[in-house]
Amino acid sequence: MHIEIDEIAKSFGTTAALHPVSLSIPSGALVALLGPSGSGKTTLLRILGGLEYPNSGRVLFDGEDATGLTVQERRAGFVFQSYALFRHMTVFENIAYGLKARPRATRPPAAEIARRVQRLLDLIQLPDIAARYPAQLSGGQRQRVALARALAIEPRMLLLDEPFGALDARVRKELRQGLRDIHDATGLTSVFVTHDQEEAMELADLVVVMSMGRIEQVGRPQDIRARPATAFVRDFIAA
Amino acid sequence: MGRPLYQRSPMPGLGLSAGITLTMLSIVVLLPVGALLAKGVSFGPGNLWDVVNRERVWSALFLSFRLSFFAAIFNLVFGTLLAWVLVRYRFAGRRLLDAAVDLPFALPTAVAGIALTALYAPNGVLGGLAQQIGWKIAYTQTGILIALVFVGLPFVARTVQPVVEEIEREVEEASATLGASRLTTLRRVILPMLAPAALTGFALALARAVGEYGSVIFIAGNIPLKTEIAPLLIVIQLEEFNYDAAAAIGIAMLTISFAMLLAINLIQIWSRRRIGYV
Amino acid sequence: MSDASAFSFRAPTDESPLVRRALIGVAVLGLGLLVGAPLVAVFAEALKQGWLAALKSLGNRDALSAIWLTLTIAAISVPLNAVFGIAAAWLITRFDFRGKAFLITLIDLPFSVSPVVAGLCIVLMFGANSLLGGWLVAQGFPIVFALPGIVLATVFITFPFIARELIPVMIEQGRAEEEAALTLGAGGWHLFRTVTLPNIRWALLYGVLLCNARAMGEFGAVAVVSGKIRGQTATMPITIEMLYNEYLSVAAFSLAAVLTLLALVTLLAKTVLERRHADQIAATHRH
Repeated sequence: MHIEIDEIAKSFGTTAALHPVSLSIPSGALVALLGPSGSGKTTLLRILGGLEYPNSGRVLFDGEDATGLTVQERRAGFVFQSYALFRHMTVFENIAYGLKARPRATRPPAAEIARRVQRLLDLIQLPDIAARYPAQLSGGQRQRVALARALAIEPRMLLLDEPFGALDARVRKELRQGLRDIHDATGLTSVFVTHDQEEAMELADLVVVMSMGRIEQVGRPQDIRARPATAFVRDFIAA
Repeated sequence: MGRPLYQRSPMPGLGLSAGITLTMLSIVVLLPVGALLAKGVSFGPGNLWDVVNRERVWSALFLSFRLSFFAAIFNLVFGTLLAWVLVRYRFAGRRLLDAAVDLPFALPTAVAGIALTALYAPNGVLGGLAQQIGWKIAYTQTGILIALVFVGLPFVARTVQPVVEEIEREVEEASATLGASRLTTLRRVILPMLAPAALTGFALALARAVGEYGSVIFIAGNIPLKTEIAPLLIVIQLEEFNYDAAAAIGIAMLTISFAMLLAINLIQIWSRRRIGYV
Repeated sequence: MSDASAFSFRAPTDESPLVRRALIGVAVLGLGLLVGAPLVAVFAEALKQGWLAALKSLGNRDALSAIWLTLTIAAISVPLNAVFGIAAAWLITRFDFRGKAFLITLIDLPFSVSPVVAGLCIVLMFGANSLLGGWLVAQGFPIVFALPGIVLATVFITFPFIARELIPVMIEQGRAEEEAALTLGAGGWHLFRTVTLPNIRWALLYGVLLCNARAMGEFGAVAVVSGKIRGQTATMPITIEMLYNEYLSVAAFSLAAVLTLLALVTLLAKTVLERRHADQIAATHRH
């Protein structure tokens, strides 16, 4: 799905989190929103997901105005920074949650839900952990379960907030490839937020560098590296 | 540009939860308290003052606040000691003791009142002992004080306990390595750390004691000018359907308790700032 | 561990055994006199003339009607407070708006109002002498000196109890799980039932327990609004006062013993909850 961000602005109280920003995300791309904390990247992601309302501007999905859509109607697979797994539910129940939450008319039968959950567990290469609780999983496993839970609703796009932020360096590298594989296998337009320039450059097709609520530069990793548009971008990717 | 009234959010239930909260708050608390204040306004400040400015009312107000203050001071010391003992020491019966601290919260005040009276009356077990050394407890101010200590007992202990649990041993060890005796460490290092929480507990115990009625009226004897507490005066006025006078005393009590709470909050902010706790 | 028997080493962060024993002694003696003795006194006085006399006094019509009334009041006011507590905690922890601190102060207000003054406020607002109260009486729906007034007074006194338990827990748990449920397509009630409620259930139960104990035992506020009509508006605590003033000591203390047992059960349940679900119950104990 093609995502168009048109002059989106957002302020919290009197502080502006996003000055009007515009961005076009091509269908099927894996995009990194890169910037230091306070740059507005998470706010932009949450606006795409419908968790935050912009003060002005529009969001278009495949050319249609989606600004007024509720978070439920957007069907965005969202992976939270600390995963927000439901701690009182097993892995199975976590992944099945979105399917079971559907109204009766569109809810798949129990056997179908079980089959889909198992397929997702296979996809994240953790086929045997369905009965465990989040507290019994490692950080990397939790991240993958969160990803499977987001994929279970057959989302129109994938939004990930610092998906590797809570992991140690070694696991981080392993899971990068995992995300790339899942993106390629599903073909979903995916946007992830990160403050790690190496991660953004290595993983993304398109990198959006942000600072203080503004977009500094948009481009392919190699282009940004070769031709940083501003002094900020040059300093930030050199760090 | 001002801050917006609220931040729009996709979280469901804003209208419902705000509706329930504000409706119940209004019906149960705001309107009735407003009715008291309105009564005071319609009665007029001059009349209010005339009702309050009588010896019997002054002595009841003074008695209530003075004894509540003493009871809260006692609880400040005893509650801090309890918190320390319950967190730091391991001994048989500690858990029972810990649970017993909460009893004054759970026990109805009228039950506490008649039980304390049965104990401390001249024909009671403890009252009888005291009588032998010529000390009268029930139906005197001492009796009221005991009841007020009882109802305020858990506040200081329960606010200080979590703070004691969080004290890092290293701070005490640092004090010891610097040559401080144990007593100095307790006085100069530990107690200042506990002070803000202890003051919070003190304020809560004080507020509770000032308004206390059920546990006091049985043991007080209720002799005008001697052992008559302010809440009892309100009840007496109400029983005579003298609503204006009851409202006047009620407003006086509210005013004084809020002034005291405000003062204590300020002390607390000051002490917190001094120690650097947020 | 080093060999402790070689010589006794006292850590610099411990008090001397003498001081320690003295402090424990003061704590035990103080709590024994202040809390233990009254507890024993209630049962001793109730059983002064034996089990039979005590039980017989409880079978009395007034005693039974008082027990029934107290149960009715708790059954109405505790759920009301639970609904309020959940709504207030949801509003305060799940939304950002101006005046939040002021709202919390208003919710806490009943803590610093004397129960007698609370009763007085309700009489002035809803009594037969007031505009609203007079009209309600004319409609045949009196509030003061009747059940609704007692319920109002009870709800006033216990108002902050459940909200106060839920707010710190819900702040600590944050909004992420509810947001996750939203992105997965869950509607408001569904997410409340499947995500929020399981996360707050122990704190809620804890609050309900404290609220219930206070609701059944409230005296001052109820004394003012109930009119103390025997067999009609006399709750258990009010009946205890009446019996006590009529020198019916065994009857008064027998009824008191029933409430004391309830208090003990409450404490036991509270202790169990605190031990099993400490993580889910706020660490701050302010009542």
